[in-house]
Amino acid sequence: MGMKDPCRASWKKYAPPILAAIVILVPLAVPSRYILRTLVNIFFFAALGCAWNVIGGYAGQLSLGHSAFVAMGAYPTALFLLNWNIPPWIGFIPGVVLALIVAYLLGHLVFGLRGPYLALSTLAFAEILRILLLHFREQTGGSLGVTIPFKGTSVWKLQFASEQPYYYICLGLLGFCLYVTNRIHHSRMGYYLQAIKENQDAAENLGINLSGNKVKALMISAALTALMGGFYAAYFYYIDPDSVAGMDLSIKILLVAIIGGVGTVWGPVGGACILVVLTEASNYLFGGGRAGASLIIYAIILIIVVLFSPRGLIAFLPGGARSYRRE
Amino acid sequence: MRACLWMVIGMIGLAVALVSPALAAEDVQVALFVMLSGPGVDLGKMSRDGAEMAAEDINGSGGIKALGGAKIKLIVADVTSNAAQAPSVTERTLSTGKISGAIGYGASQMTLTSLPVIEKSQIPLVTSSISDKITQQGYKYVFEICPKGSHFGATQVLFLSYLRKKYNLPIKQIGFVYENTAYGTSTAEGLKQTALKEGYKIGLFEAYDAKFTDASPLVTKIKASGVDVIFPVSYTTDAELIISTMQAMRVNPLVIGGGAGFIWPDIYKSLGEKINGVFSVGSWSWDSKNIMSDPQRRSVVERYKKRFGTFMPEQAGEHYAMVWTLKEAIEKARSTDPKKIRDALSSIEITRGPAALMQPGRIKFNETGWNLYVHPTMIQWQKGEHRTVYPEEDATHEVIWPVK
Amino acid sequence: MLPVCSSGAQVEFPTPAQAGAFPREEIGTGPREMNTITLLQSIVNGLMMGGVYALIAVGLTLIFGVMNVVNFAHGEFVMLGMVLTYLLHNYLGWDPGVSILLVIPVMLGVGALIQKALISRVIGQSDETQILLTLGLSVLLTNVILLIMGPDYLSVKTPYKLSVVALGPILLSVPRLIAFMVGLSFSGILWLFLNRTTLGKALRAVAEKPEVATLMGINPKKMHWLAFGIGISLAAGAGSVLTPFFYTFPSVGGLFVLIAFVVVVLGGMGNIPGAILGALVIGITESLTAQYLALDLAMLGVFIIFVLVLVFKPAGILGKGKLY
Repeated sequence: MGMKDPCRASWKKYAPPILAAIVILVPLAVPSRYILRTLVNIFFFAALGCAWNVIGGYAGQLSLGHSAFVAMGAYPTALFLLNWNIPPWIGFIPGVVLALIVAYLLGHLVFGLRGPYLALSTLAFAEILRILLLHFREQTGGSLGVTIPFKGTSVWKLQFASEQPYYYICLGLLGFCLYVTNRIHHSRMGYYLQAIKENQDAAENLGINLSGNKVKALMISAALTALMGGFYAAYFYYIDPDSVAGMDLSIKILLVAIIGGVGTVWGPVGGACILVVLTEASNYLFGGGRAGASLIIYAIILIIVVLFSPRGLIAFLPGGARSYRRE
Repeated sequence: MRACLWMVIGMIGLAVALVSPALAAEDVQVALFVMLSGPGVDLGKMSRDGAEMAAEDINGSGGIKALGGAKIKLIVADVTSNAAQAPSVTERTLSTGKISGAIGYGASQMTLTSLPVIEKSQIPLVTSSISDKITQQGYKYVFEICPKGSHFGATQVLFLSYLRKKYNLPIKQIGFVYENTAYGTSTAEGLKQTALKEGYKIGLFEAYDAKFTDASPLVTKIKASGVDVIFPVSYTTDAELIISTMQAMRVNPLVIGGGAGFIWPDIYKSLGEKINGVFSVGSWSWDSKNIMSDPQRRSVVERYKKRFGTFMPEQAGEHYAMVWTLKEAIEKARSTDPKKIRDALSSIEITRGPAALMQPGRIKFNETGWNLYVHPTMIQWQKGEHRTVYPEEDATHEVIWPVK
Repeated sequence: MLPVCSSGAQVEFPTPAQAGAFPREEIGTGPREMNTITLLQSIVNGLMMGGVYALIAVGLTLIFGVMNVVNFAHGEFVMLGMVLTYLLHNYLGWDPGVSILLVIPVMLGVGALIQKALISRVIGQSDETQILLTLGLSVLLTNVILLIMGPDYLSVKTPYKLSVVALGPILLSVPRLIAFMVGLSFSGILWLFLNRTTLGKALRAVAEKPEVATLMGINPKKMHWLAFGIGISLAAGAGSVLTPFFYTFPSVGGLFVLIAFVVVVLGGMGNIPGAILGALVIGITESLTAQYLALDLAMLGVFIIFVLVLVFKPAGILGKGKLY
């Protein structure tokens, strides 16, 4: 690990700006709505994966109900836009605030639990929210969901006929999530979370405030997730309890983070690439209802990762192990 | 920075996935969005059968004359039964750039969620989905050929009044149970409004999840409410569950079904003789007067029966009519440009030919995109088929009464 | 062309602003008297489902008790049982009551295989690892079946599907009654097995004091695959008896796994009688919530109990559950 290959060194130096340039220029060079839409999908899931990572990867508290936070961001954004014409870039704020409050309360409620009890309670929490969203039809539209009419391009309302603006918005949001994750990774809180993940009791004995740190991590994670939920509402024009508060979404989010690499900054990006590309390929090959079968591959990857490389696929790549803080 | 490797791999994969076969330049491509998987698959198959038969008939009788006999090619896309998937499938199908028009989606929920994509892509959609919301949002590219959900509900209640007068029925309370997506909710709204106007006392108004697997709580509620007439608005599996559970639990109010599950052949397949006598509203029925009285249209339903072994169901008939309607619009527009076709659709008036399969035989879309001449019909299951019994202008059969 | 009322007035339809509103004041939702018959019927309905839940839950709690593994894929084994029963019914015409006799042994073998191949590797590892593994297994099984069978809802039509047995004014649906009896009796058989047979006692020994059991000559690895096999085969058996009145489709497992976990937590992880009792309680809760609160809130009642138990008595109502 000490020897530095000069080729690799310069590669590492020039790769990031080149990559950034490519990513920024893609929409201008590629007109296909489909490709842009797929890339937006990738950014979206990558951001969600990053957000989950804060509590699931760094703190090691497995949340199986993260879609609830997506819903908490998506519904206020959508409802404010639909009912009161409040644009999404304002409407998402109540969603994030709600997520912060709920995360605070939920954290204090469940972080006393360990392992499967914790995971189960997060699952139950998301399901409860989903059931309530379905039930209170008057407010939320129930299983009809909320459909936002497209009224033509409007920057104020964040509605665009073309994909490019959405691309840049989502890219920006992803960048923000990566930035936050990076800050945590290199901060004291990051160290504390890692300690908690490795051995909770030992960490407590060392004087680390378990509940304080865990709740903080959950709050950050929830806020970022809700932020992306708000984007989803503005981008997709349709939300319903099953798609934004369902178990499928929760599992996809955690798959992205775990397969990509828990506890790393860039891992979820890789995980999202794999997830979205496989989904598209499987849609193309199988079409329709069997398209979900692409999850077979993720499941196999997940099982392999869990059994042989709990750090995620990123550890398989040369130099990937360096993404982790030295222990 | 390994993520960049993944991204490159991802883009290559995408490029591969996008390869699609070239099509004959002459064909006019029409996207057909149907549910070919999941709980909605029976709906989707009927729709596709009707649409494909229409395309064959069109191509067999000379194609689109204004375009030199160009053939219609249906691009069939499975939108699954998941409303959140439909927009993605739509986006993917329309992105090939060669689609001139679209037909879909079968279930109101799917249509509603895909409308923003349709509007953005500026490709006209002809739909048989009934939710009132479809034409209330100011979209310019959607054309609804069938009655609205609220009209369904109204017709059902009015039919009850008709029965009540005709047979002197003592009705104290009526109840509504409806599946909780766009279709059920729209219909229920019409039911409620009309019932209140007609002076009925509503004893039950309850939504349920169409995907439920146990109807006994619902039926227990129906029983407890003591309603004399029940108006269930259901798709196939839930309709079947409700009827069979009601019979099992010996709950026997008069059943006036809300279309969909109550009108498609599948329910006869599952319940057999037990379905006879049940009424339902429908957005289209194969034996309405405008069809029976015209030899060309009559032959359509007869050929369908011969080919598919069952009477032509609502969805098949509507999709048949929709494909023909699009064809007429393309003829009028004399072009494959979606915008021109859209304009043709908004001004067209059809009174003859196979497109006029929709009762009462006349199609014209108003400024919100709704076919303003269409109205629902009431059918009754008689001997394993359904027969149009109401309103008078479409009825070809008498009600069989009493219903056991 | 808008319909016209009997009074001659044209029916008006809601404006966009009104459409979608559901004013509840205008509508009664039926005589909500605490009609005793409705109450009893509701309780009976819930009890019958409870029997099925019991069979699913005892398997889950057994696996946990003996191996300390939380099997998030448990619902998928119910689904596999359903699929197998459906296939036997569809292609061979077997009645589910007969199929269960084949399904259980077959799944016993399948369970043992999965245990050896996958589960054994994570015994003793962190909770997170176990959760992720069984979660992965769950996703895998669901989607393999999705690929093979398609997403359609399948039903098994038996001649007794619509039959009812009357107990006074209370009606019992025959397929559900059968499911209840099978569920309860097989759970009871499991309990007897664990308490009266040598093999059963060996299993319990491994559950309670693994190190001592090893010293006594019991091979814990063998006990593990036996426990896992029994656990999931019982779940599959539950699936079998569900088929006459429950649709079979690839993701049906998800519905059951949550309930199973709630039951197991309620009864105490590793506690078999607790699971049986808990299942009946949960079945009744679900039914009563659906009847008296709202149909679509049925699971809410179940989850509320779950949260209460987790917060106040995580060891379970009957205690003796492991907490960590």
